Amino acid sequence: CSRLHNRPTFSQTILLQNLYLNPQNAALTADGSHIMMDDVQAQQEYDEFFEEIFVELEDKYGEIEEMNVCDNLGDHLVGNVYVRFHREEDAEKAVADLNNRWFNQRPIHCELSPVTDFREACCR
Amino acid sequence: PKKNRKKRPHKYWDIPPPGYEHISPAQYKAMQASGQIPTETTL
Repeated sequence: CSRLHNRPTFSQTILLQNLYLNPQNAALTADGSHIMMDDVQAQQEYDEFFEEIFVELEDKYGEIEEMNVCDNLGDHLVGNVYVRFHREEDAEKAVADLNNRWFNQRPIHCELSPVTDFREACCR
Repeated sequence: PKKNRKKRPHKYWDIPPPGYEHISPAQYKAMQASGQIPTETTL
């Protein structure tokens, strides 16, 4: 994102950039020829993706209060995953470790996020 | 208390890009930043 974001030193919330690749994302090819699955399959894939992240993060780093996945088509938010941990220490630990892990054949880009209330969140 | 969850093999976690198994994700990102490998792999 080209906008000015403040990156907090401490936060309960972490941001994993572009983690979710929606198989139905129409931005990939103009004519949609890449879409090989129907809505039911896509939902199943998404559920698996969500569960795999949630379970792994909670098992490894600590209790999660809330998790959100962005699925809009704007290129700077698409696939962003926001996870709010119960404890700031867990979020910090998660960022440090996740930045040196792979996910779905890509390196994870992870940072602390100032977002605390997802309903109020907007890109400033 | 630890909750009992069914353990399933990871489908996404810790799967490196093919051909880059020998380097770390941090090294990979550094190589992307310096333009040695493309930022987005095409699908």
